[in-house]
Parts: sequence; structure tokens; C-alpha cells
Amino acid sequence: MKCVLVATEGAEVLFYWMDKEFEESLRLKFGQSECEGAGLPTLEDQLSTLLAPVIISSMTMLEKLSDTYTCFSTENGNYLYVLHLFGECLFIAINGDHTEGEGDLRQKLCVLKYLFEVHFGLVTVDGQLIRKELRPPDLEQRVQVWEHFQSLLWTYSRLREQEQCFAVEAVERLIHPQLCKLCIEALERHVIQAINASPKRAGEEALHAFLLVHSKLLAFYSSHSASSLRPADLLALILLVQDLYPSESTAEDNDTQPSPRRPQSSQSIPVQQAWSSCSADPTGRSSAGTETDSFSPAEEYFTPAPSPGEQSSGSTVWLEEGTPPTDASQVQVAEDTLQTLVPRSPGPSSPRRIFLDTSVKENYCPMVPHTMYCLPLWPGINMVVLTKGPNTPLALVLYQLLDGFSLLEKKLKEGQEVGSTLRSHPLMGDLRQRMDKFIKSRGGQELQSTWLEFKTKAFSRSEPGSSWELLQACRRVKRQLCTIYRLSFLAAAPGRGGPHLPQHLQDRVQTLMQEKLTDWKDFLLVKSRRNVTMVSYLEDFPGLVHFIYVDRTTGQMVAPSLSSSERTSSELGRGPLATFVRTKVWALIRLARRYLQKGYTTLLFREGDFYCSYFLWFENEMVRVARPLQDGPEMLSFPVTLGSLSPGFCSVCLSISSRLWWS
Amino acid sequence: MGWSYFFLYDGSKVKGEGDPTRAGICYFYPSQTLLDQQELLCGQIAGVVHCISDISGSPLTFVRLRKLKFAIKVDGDYLWVLGCAVELPDGSCKQLLDQLIGVFTFYNGPVSLAYESGSREELSAGWDTFIEQILSNTSDLHRIFNSLWNLDRTKVEPLLLLKAALILQTCQRSRHVLAGCILYKGLIVSTQLPPSLTAKVLFHPAAPRDQEPPPGGDALQEGGAALPPDVQIRPVFVTEGEAVSLHEFPREPVTSTPASAARLQEPSALRPPKGWSTPAPKENNPGHTEAMAWELATTPEPTSPNTVWPDGSGENGHWYGRDWESVGPAKPRHSARGRGPGLSRALVKEPGLSWGKEELDLSEIHIPEAQETETSSGYSDFPCVRAPEGADPGCEESGSDSGSPEPKSPKAPPVGTAIGGLLPPSAPEMLVQNGAQERLGHLSGDSSQAPVPGEDHPPARTSGPLPACCSDSGQTGTELPVGGQREEQCDDGGPESRPGPGPECDSGSADPPGNSPSADRTNSRSAPTSSVGLVRMNLYTHCVKGLVLSLLAEEPLLGDGAAIEEVYHGSLASLNGLEVHLQETLPQDQAAPAPPGRAYSFTHYDRIQNVLTANLPQVATAQDRRFLQAVSLMHSDFAQLPTLYEVTVSESCALMIETPRLLPSLPGTPPRLCTPAATPSRRPTSSSWRRWRGAPASRVRRTVPSASRARPGRSC
Repeated sequence: MKCVLVATEGAEVLFYWMDKEFEESLRLKFGQSECEGAGLPTLEDQLSTLLAPVIISSMTMLEKLSDTYTCFSTENGNYLYVLHLFGECLFIAINGDHTEGEGDLRQKLCVLKYLFEVHFGLVTVDGQLIRKELRPPDLEQRVQVWEHFQSLLWTYSRLREQEQCFAVEAVERLIHPQLCKLCIEALERHVIQAINASPKRAGEEALHAFLLVHSKLLAFYSSHSASSLRPADLLALILLVQDLYPSESTAEDNDTQPSPRRPQSSQSIPVQQAWSSCSADPTGRSSAGTETDSFSPAEEYFTPAPSPGEQSSGSTVWLEEGTPPTDASQVQVAEDTLQTLVPRSPGPSSPRRIFLDTSVKENYCPMVPHTMYCLPLWPGINMVVLTKGPNTPLALVLYQLLDGFSLLEKKLKEGQEVGSTLRSHPLMGDLRQRMDKFIKSRGGQELQSTWLEFKTKAFSRSEPGSSWELLQACRRVKRQLCTIYRLSFLAAAPGRGGPHLPQHLQDRVQTLMQEKLTDWKDFLLVKSRRNVTMVSYLEDFPGLVHFIYVDRTTGQMVAPSLSSSERTSSELGRGPLATFVRTKVWALIRLARRYLQKGYTTLLFREGDFYCSYFLWFENEMVRVARPLQDGPEMLSFPVTLGSLSPGFCSVCLSISSRLWWS
Repeated sequence: MGWSYFFLYDGSKVKGEGDPTRAGICYFYPSQTLLDQQELLCGQIAGVVHCISDISGSPLTFVRLRKLKFAIKVDGDYLWVLGCAVELPDGSCKQLLDQLIGVFTFYNGPVSLAYESGSREELSAGWDTFIEQILSNTSDLHRIFNSLWNLDRTKVEPLLLLKAALILQTCQRSRHVLAGCILYKGLIVSTQLPPSLTAKVLFHPAAPRDQEPPPGGDALQEGGAALPPDVQIRPVFVTEGEAVSLHEFPREPVTSTPASAARLQEPSALRPPKGWSTPAPKENNPGHTEAMAWELATTPEPTSPNTVWPDGSGENGHWYGRDWESVGPAKPRHSARGRGPGLSRALVKEPGLSWGKEELDLSEIHIPEAQETETSSGYSDFPCVRAPEGADPGCEESGSDSGSPEPKSPKAPPVGTAIGGLLPPSAPEMLVQNGAQERLGHLSGDSSQAPVPGEDHPPARTSGPLPACCSDSGQTGTELPVGGQREEQCDDGGPESRPGPGPECDSGSADPPGNSPSADRTNSRSAPTSSVGLVRMNLYTHCVKGLVLSLLAEEPLLGDGAAIEEVYHGSLASLNGLEVHLQETLPQDQAAPAPPGRAYSFTHYDRIQNVLTANLPQVATAQDRRFLQAVSLMHSDFAQLPTLYEVTVSESCALMIETPRLLPSLPGTPPRLCTPAATPSRRPTSSSWRRWRGAPASRVRRTVPSASRARPGRSC
């Protein structure tokens, strides 16, 4: 009984995901009330009908009380609803089977939001544009977009339940120094350097390459010019790879599970169950590249309908709710520019556009466009290459401008800066200069006119615009910038025919790597299941049952293997004991997270015959153990979610390592 | 951690589109909230409740906002909502709401009825005073644990607590009275009621509400004029569960006797079996008085006090003579006619027969036919208790027959064959002690009256106190016959009141199992509230300055002037005495604030009695607030995870320890007591923090492979 819904303020469904049980419950509910002849409304409409009162009420509360719902729970915790407002989108997660706690659900929402960002980059900044990305007017495209994220959510749910690294949100490495060294050398010479030396790389520059065995990291190499990859991004990439090529054991599990990884989500539209079929028969695709076409998910993106009349109802509702009519023209502008989009070329192994955080020349720049090439070597073993295109600097400029306007918008909203104070603000001068420069180099009629309009409102001495007018103008400029960003990076995505590495280059790299690793293949697959064994620790820590060590500085973790599937067994064997320990570990992670959110860095407890403990400590490079950063208030104000996929925590501290120790 | 809102909303008043939301608002706290705001909250939350319940198929219980959380209870068309701070654990929030609802229904009956019959203004006024009372009396800790307020027992003479317990017992012997509690200035001195009922009685509405016509109109005809001064009787509504527990309550100690007897050897382990009694005082032979105190409190209603007295008198004979005005001085004279003599009579005369005979008596006379099976099954417990008394005589003889296996006392007989199997492990010891008593019985002479049918009945039922008495005489009796005799005399003090009301009480007391169902039935029939499972009862309150005696009685009490008089006169003098003593001891304590310069904070929560002890000051400092936060977190975890034993959490600068332990001697009920949660200030905590990060950390750290210097990380 699980469901996730993303909706606008007007209760328009932007995305939904649900499992079979929830779908069944909906059918029961609507099957009774609707007459059969009329046919059942689509799941999307059902959800919208059911939850609209809650969404509207949530917005009303926000408006009147400046506080809004975050959680509902029904008797005995039978049902749990978690609500989270990201920008203008309300995310709702529902659980009706006691399997997830409030923390889990909130985490899920954060991950979903993060995945949106990875896929759409800075387009997420603008509510109108992201709405159209998530809910293309064309039904078929909409289904495709939703299917993609539904599949990702399924994969995430599975990984979080099965893999310790996803439970604690840190990357798990395959521990084999010798092999790792070999692989890094191969990645450097035969992948990164080979690609970058190739004349046919179409302006793409390979930055990172890494090898994954199931969900564990075997080796990672970054070129010298590349900025480092955040652990959160790496985890997200692993998630994407796992979604494309579910590892063997997972496929087995899926066969036994009652609910398929991605259920048929909509009856009305025939959907290609491409990835599901892939997961059902992973062995069939051992030699990658040859069969790719047979399971193309047709990941086409949309070309929105030009007519404003057919515009998504969301914006109409939005208009009704007090947005000035001037916005309509803006929507029109945005839509016109959207028409140039080219549909993406199909194929899961075809390169994908993803947006990752980088720091370019000491400048932090989030959501820089990259292209991801996932090259399967053997089932369970994948190589990922990340490249960046020639127009990356544009992303940086756009980000800086957007950042400036967002700040301005915030100030205007708060009503602080009006008129002359605003004009003399250093931020404004800087912004103006950069914007002028940008327009000179980029052109773009609409942007130019919008910017002019803003400038007259903001800087003209004769008739200074009101704060409210300025705010609107500011928003319009932002939207224009987002549109440019979207056109440059999403519309010209490699999957849609944008520039990318030629296929033969990909193939060559893939074959090379296969040759290098062919002797190790079987070993790796086994090793990934028995990465770290408990035996080596028992001598020093008799009675230790399990531990997880997480180094948040690098976002990596070490833990003895816990088997997740029926067939493989860990040291604890299979059956009740292993299951019991697994459950305990997961429960402890949950509990520790809850206490950590309240600022407790040490947790020791005794439950039944087991002693469990959780420590978070701080280290810097000189001293083995530094004092806890600051005591008191800072510690208490940890962000709501911790971990890599939902970032925010690490920025608080210089360096953190935490460990879960359980004996 | 306080409340922000509390409201009662009647959805049936707002059905159509045109109906204003305000029509449905029955009560809203704080009342000065703008009406628009009230409407917003009520309307939105009612809507969401409806919507979510519809989707989920189960009622919505919590709505959480960023800064607020609402506990919700749906009762037909009515919606109860309590808005709390988010830090308050869900469980506590819900309990608070349940408590509020419980108190309302206790005094007003089911909400729909109350609002149909009563005017909104009056009820709102009632709410206002009631909520004010709760808010002024509760601290954050109380809100977290939802605990009751006990008198600080470390500051009260334990004997006063004992006395309070005895007053309650005395009252219990009156007709209709089921159980009660004594409060002093809003704090519990002694209670026989389960915590839920104690809480309701605790919020006894102040003066204004008493002028309200009680919902059950018959109160006026008899009550008004006939009531003694300072006494009020008002109809109240208890839930069926509570009613059953009230009726069953007297038999409670009996069933638990084997356990309690077995526990005699380790007095420290003595605890109330179920938990509705006062915690024991700590001073003066802690274990002993403690045991006594609770047993007193839990003693079944028609108890002849004498069974209890031996303890008190044995230890504190002087106290009696001085303080127990109504009974004390007079008693010794009557000792000859008390139970003791009865016992000795039994001893001297047909020892073997008396047992069987009395058993016969019991079943024939006191127990209605319908109850026979039940009582006979109940006997399986009785003998355990009775064995000492009843068997003693027999044992005297059988002792000579079969030889005494008891090394301790030659007189101590072996367990009678008939009852041997039923005796608890400690029975031999009890026998020894009874042997001592028995000798005393001889000394005091055989001046017994004609056998009163119920004579043995009460002792049998007072199994609780008895072991204590035995242990006591075991200590003193064997070596000091004179002391023992004295004890015996005091022992017999109580029953003076017996001859008159005794038999009545007895039959009353024996009947409850038989009576209660019918009583319930009639009650529920007479009460308009039968549909919601409420049982009407009477609450008798007697205020003596700060002291309040509250008794729950069956409904006929109101019409039974004689019974009221009896209760009143039976307790008046002792209440006065108790009040004076409490007043003497308590005020100076109250003057003393929390100990200055606390080195630590602690809180102790007794889940059985629902009582809290803590050293937090009234006004919480920043550090206290952190302590409270930790406590509330841990409390909710303990509530959720049944196997959780101990939790230690630490901020960077504070360490909290909370340890609930299973009581060793209480099979069946796994109560968890939280022992100190300490917040040592910075130094100690950081050290403990450091200690913990020690060995394992470095070890694991070392084994982390440093291979493959890839660069997936930068410090984020």
C-alpha cells in the first residue's frame, strides 16, 4: 500500500507512483461509486479526486496560518501520509502497510525531488516549466516520463530495502586493492584518455569513469580537469544504472515478488514494458549494444501543444488563484520556445543527459549538464562514463544569473528593497552588468525585451515600478533564463540527437574494458556478495553481530555483507537469523536517524539481548578525533533529512564520519 | 510543550453549503482566538479528517503541521481536536486528548447528550475552568508522561499515607461505596482507583460547576437538603471497563495472594499487583511499611481493619492511640470481640471442624447460588490465605499426629492435607507466625461471641494485608508475646464497627460479582447513556479545607441518607486529623524551592501507578528543555518498542540515560519503571562521549581499505 503523488497547488497531478495494492484499493473505491458503463476514471484522476481536498486545504493553511501539513497518521499508524512542499509542488507519500516510517517516506520524497533535479537541472527552478516537463500535454509522452520515474522509484525502494549502502546513503566499495588499482589504470588509459584523444568525440570531454559490480563501486577515475563528484551524485548514478540493468539477484527477487517492479500503471494507454522485460531476462542481454533496440523504452520527450487553450489545467488554476493576467503572455512565450524540441532517441544504453553538481574554478555550480554513458560489460558489471559538452560554461553563467534573480525575488517578496535602495544594492549592479553582457553574447529577442522591461521598472528614475511589478518582471526574466537553459541542455540532450560520443567509440571502450576484466568477471560477481566478512572482526570484537561504518567525508561506507536474496547466503546464513539481523539493522538506522535529527550524536540502547549503538564523530586531518563541532544549538538544528541523496547535512561540518556499530 | 488549541466541533451542525462553520464549534480553547481563525482551523481540520479517513478507511488520529500537531478523535458527528507543540510525542498527545474527553464524559455524560441537554455557555465555562486547572497543574514532564500528581512522599510522614489508606478502607465498608481516593491540594495522597479514574476524580470541578443541575435530575430531591456540610454527591459516568474494574477490584488482592505471599521474604520487591494504590513511603523500614501501605490501599472493601491493624499497631502502636481518634482509643477494649478472639475461638474449639464449617457457612449464607461456582473456584485462592488461620487449629492437632516438619517452631504444624497443595511456598513461615498469633489468642482468652457467619470471610479476603501482618508477627511475635498481645488487641480494634453494618457489608461485598452485572444493567438502563457504554455512578466528595475525599459509589447512594451519614461520620474525624497533620508537615516543604545548583536532572516515572517524580524546577531552563526533549523522545520509543530496555543518548554536551527495568516479582504484568535519566553537565558527558568513541572506532577505521585512491569524494 504505497503511493507517491506530486501535485501542483491546484491539485493537478504532476506525477504519481503506486503499488498494486494501492491501485487495487482505488479500484475498489471507485468501482463502487462509478457506474461501469462510464468506465473508470484514470488512476491519475482518481488520485486527484481523492486528494484534492487535502492539497487545497494544505495551501489554504499555508496562506492563512503560514504553516502547513507535514504528516497525517491514522489509527494505530495504519496509514501514514507525509507531505512536503518543494517550491510550488506538493509531494505526498502514502504508506498503508506499516513498512515505512515517516522518516522513510520523507526520504523517499527528497530522493524523488533529487531525481527530478538530476533529470531536469535548473529547469526545476521555475514552477511553470517543470510542470510542463513532468506533465507533458501529450498523453503518450506523459506516460513515458511517468513510467521512467516510476521505475526509478521502484528501483530506489528496492535498493533501500536490500542494500545497506542505500539504507545509509553512502557508496559501498568493493574491497580488493589489487584489482582496484588495475581497474583504475585501465579506466585512465583505455577509457578517459582514449576518449579524450579521439578526434571524433564531438566536443565531448570524458570526465569520470567508474566500474560498478551490482551496486558496489569497484573503481573510479576522474580526469585531471574534472571537479570531484559528490557522493550523492554517485549514488544517484548507481541508482540509474541499477534501474537500467537491475542486478541478477534483483531480477530473481523480482520473479518471486508478487508485485512486479513496475506495474502497468495506466490501463488506458498501451505501454511498452521495456525495462520490465529487461529485468525479467537479464541474461539475454549479455553482449550489450546488440540488443539494445529490442527493448527501447521510447524515452521521447515532448513537444507541447502550441494552443494556450489546451494548456494544462494547472496553470489555469494557478491563474484563478491570483496570479496576474500578465503571466499568460509569459506562458505563451515559454511555449513558443518549446516547440523546437526534438524527441529523444530511444534506447536505454543511449547516452542520457543528467545534471550533476560541480565546482568550476572554485565556483560552486549545481546542476551542470553531463552526459552519462552506461556501458554494460557483463550482467551485474557495468561501466559508466560521464562526459561534459562544449557548452558547459553557459550553464555556469545561467546558474549565476538565475541565482542572482532568485535572491532578488526573495528580497522583493519580503518587501525589503524597493526603489532606490534596490537600485543601489550591490547585487543589482552586478546582476545588471552580467545580464547585459549575457544578452550581448547570446541575443534572444524575448529575453532581451523582458530584460528591458525589468530594467525600466527597476532603474528608471521617472517612474519606478512598484515592488509587486518588479517581482513579476523579475519572475519573467527568470523564466526566460530557464527557458534558455532548457533549450540548451534538455532540448539538445544527447538522447534527443544532441551531440554525444559516436557509438563506435563507446563500443571500443566497452570491448577494451571487457578484455581487461574478463579473467576477473566471475570472481567479481562472487566478491560483490561477500565483500567484507564479519569473521575478520570477531577476534577483536567478540560478540559483535554487525556494524556499518560510514565516512561522510567521502560518502563511503564499509559493512559486512548481509544477504538480501534467497539464494545467496552471508555468514549469518539464510533464514530467520539473517532476516532478524537485517530487520534490526534497518530499524537501528531508522532510529539513529531520528535521534540525529534532534541533535543526538550518540545513541546506545539495549533491546532484548542486543546492544545497539550509534556514534557520530568528527575528525579533521591533523587530529584523529576533533571535538564535536560546536555544542548546543548548531547541533540541534540539523536539517530534516540526512544522508547523501538528500544532502544538507555535510555542509554543516568540516568533516564528519559516523559509524553504526552494533553488537 | 504546552497546548495551543483544543476544540470540539459538531459536524452535524454544518451540513449544508450555507451553514456557517461557527455553528459547529462547540468549544474552542483559547477562547480569545479570533472567530475567523477558529473557523479556519475547525473547517480545515474537519475537512482533512473526513478526506483522509475516507481514503484510508481508518480514522485519522494525527495531523502534523510544521509547528503544531493535532491529536484527533472522531466521535460520531463530534470531532475532538487537541493542538500541541510538535515536540510532544504522539502518544502523549493522544493520551492528553483521551484524558480531556474522559474527564468531560465522566462529569457530563456522553458529549452528544451533554450538548443537547446543557447549554453551550455553561459547558464552555466548565471547560474553561477545567482546562485552566489542568494547565496550571501540569508541567511539561507531566504532559509527556501524562502522569498524575502525587504528594511528595518523601516529605510526608508515611503513617499519614497509611492513615489515608485506612480512611478509604473504612469508607469502603459502607453500603454502595466502591472505592475512592484522597487528595490534598490537588495532589494524590492515597487512591484505590485505577489511574484513569483517579485522573478524572482529580479534576474535580470547582464551585461553579456544582451549581449546575446534575444531569440525572433525581439528585435534587434527596441530596440537597440531606447532605452533610462540605459533602457533595453528583452523578458521574464511568466507562463500562472502569465499572467492571471497580467491582472486581475488591477481589484483586485475593487472586494475587500466592504471589504476594511468596514475596514476603523480600519485602523490597513488594509492589502492588495491579497498580492502583499509593506508592509506599520510604522512611522507616521501607520495605515493610511500603508493603503495608499498598496492601492497605488495595485491601478489599469490607475488610475488617483489624487485619491491617496488627502491622500498624505492632510497629506504631503509639500512633494509634494518639491519632486515630475515632477508632483508636476505643478499640483495645473491644479486642476480645474482634476477629482475633474469633480466631482463638476457632483454635480452641473444634479446630478441625471450624474450617469446614465456616466454609460451609460461607457458601451457604453469603454466596448467592449463582455465584457458588465462582466462589468455589475462588476458594482455590482463599485457602492460601485462610490456611494460616483456618488450618492452624487443625494443625495444632495434626502437628502432633504427623510430627512437625517445621524446624522453626515445634508448634508450627505442617500444612493441612486438604489445603497443602494450595499453599504458597512461604506458607510454612506464615504458619509459624500464625502459630504465634494463635498462642496469643489463647492468652487473650476465649471470650468469643456466637460465630458470626461472615466472621472468617473478611480475613480471607484480606489476603493482602495478612501476609504482611504475619511477617510482622513473625518478627515480633515469637520473641515477645506481650508485644504480640498488644498487637493482637489493636488488631481487633477495627471490628467494633462490625456487628452493626458488618453483615450487611459482607453480603454487599460478597455480592458484587453477583450484583454488579445487574447493577450495571439497571444503571445503564436508567442512564440515557447506555448506548455509549457508560455506567452511571455517584461521586461523593467531602472537602475538609485542602483535603478532599472522593468516593465512587453505586447510584443508590444518593437516595440512601443513612449510608451517606455513615460514610460521613465514619470518615469525618479521621479526615480532620489527617488534614491537620498534612497541613503541619507540608507547608514548609512547599516553601523550599527546587534544590539549588542541581548537578543533574532526573525523572522517574512509574508506569504502573502512573506517577512521576522529578527534580526539575517549575520554570524550565534551556538545559531542562533539552532534557525534556530527550525524555520525550525516549519515552515514545519505550512505548513503541516493547523489548527496549535501556537507552543512552548524547548530544555533544549532554548524556541521557533511561533504564526501565522489569520488576522481578511480578509475573504477567511487565511494568517498566524508568530510573534516572541524568543530564550531567558538559564535562562528564563529553568524557563519556570520548570514552565511547574509543577502541572500536579506531579499529574499524584502520581496517577500512585505503586502496584505490579514486576520487569520488570531496569534503562536502
